[in-house]
Amino acid sequence: MNTRDAKEILLLYRGPIDDSDPQFQAALDCAKSDPELGQWLREQTKCYDTIRAKLRAIEPPLRLSEKIVRRWPIPFPRDWSRIGQLAAAILISASVTGLLMKWSERRHSSVTGAQEIVVTGEVLDMTCYIAYNLSGPDHAKCARDCIRSGLPAGIKAQDGKVYLLTGEVGHSINAEVADYAAKTVTIKGRQTVRDGFAQLQVEEIRKL
Amino acid sequence: MSADLEFENLVKLYYGDLYRFGLSLTGSEADAADLTQETFYIWANKGHQLQKAASVKGWLFTTLHREFLKTCRRRNRFSNESIDEGAEGLPNVPPDCAERVDSRTLLRILGEIAEDFRAPLVLYYMEDLSYKEIADVLALPLGTVQSRIARAKIQLLRRLSETNLPLEQTK
Repeated sequence: MNTRDAKEILLLYRGPIDDSDPQFQAALDCAKSDPELGQWLREQTKCYDTIRAKLRAIEPPLRLSEKIVRRWPIPFPRDWSRIGQLAAAILISASVTGLLMKWSERRHSSVTGAQEIVVTGEVLDMTCYIAYNLSGPDHAKCARDCIRSGLPAGIKAQDGKVYLLTGEVGHSINAEVADYAAKTVTIKGRQTVRDGFAQLQVEEIRKL
Repeated sequence: MSADLEFENLVKLYYGDLYRFGLSLTGSEADAADLTQETFYIWANKGHQLQKAASVKGWLFTTLHREFLKTCRRRNRFSNESIDEGAEGLPNVPPDCAERVDSRTLLRILGEIAEDFRAPLVLYYMEDLSYKEIADVLALPLGTVQSRIARAKIQLLRRLSETNLPLEQTK
């Protein structure tokens, strides 16, 4: 290897950091045996150190590190198996909650599947009956007017149990039962009970 | 160690080196600070994908360089000067040429070198990275990196020797 070739290789040599790099070995050996090349290499290395020191002397702006730490989100090690487990748990929990809510809603609000019964008794104006205990033939006209005006209607069975009369969802039963106010009728319908209060969804009315 | 402390330590360890690298690439303190912050932001979101803790430094430098290239594509604001193909001969430079300039002048001279050559040269001078690691950071073949460093170094030394100012004027 001649001096020029050795210089071309050693131009990249930085010092101890490159000592283990085999590409420099032969050229370094040359520098050991060639005083002029050795001197050139020392000057090159010194120049490298000076430039490095000057560049590394540049200080970042004050508080840059604090700004970075304060501003950006804190990373966390993401363990994908744990994230998967968590996602599955959330999914199962959400599904169970949804099913329970659906079941509860059905249980509380739907009359589908309610028991079909036949009730015989007196048609009541529920407001007057409950508030003032008014019923019977003496109260027939008031009861009819009240039911026609939209106040709730009911039926008091022969066993004393009282049912609120309703129509199908969105359909008022008042117009159909108003003429039977204070009279005894037989009503076939579907019974549901909520909070101990009985409701009868009217399907058919027969006057006795 | 908690994640926040881990992040804080990582920032303390590397923000200076990243800032200096960014400054030598952009020539602007504000842009260098932005690049440094952006790099740590990306680390905060994607750093978990890194398998080897030992590669953190290389990953951060790669990320900063990539972000810098994106910025260059968007703004193309740096006046790059490509290396003269005919000027590859070894320069006859005075040994104290680097002592004649201060850090800012050195940065300015570095900024006059084309970015393709400047980035490997800066990593060569500032960071204790092997040539293989520099090649990984810049996503270039090892031979290309060494060739660019050599040519850029010659260019830098030539510029430094031409900056023939008395020491007291530059310090």
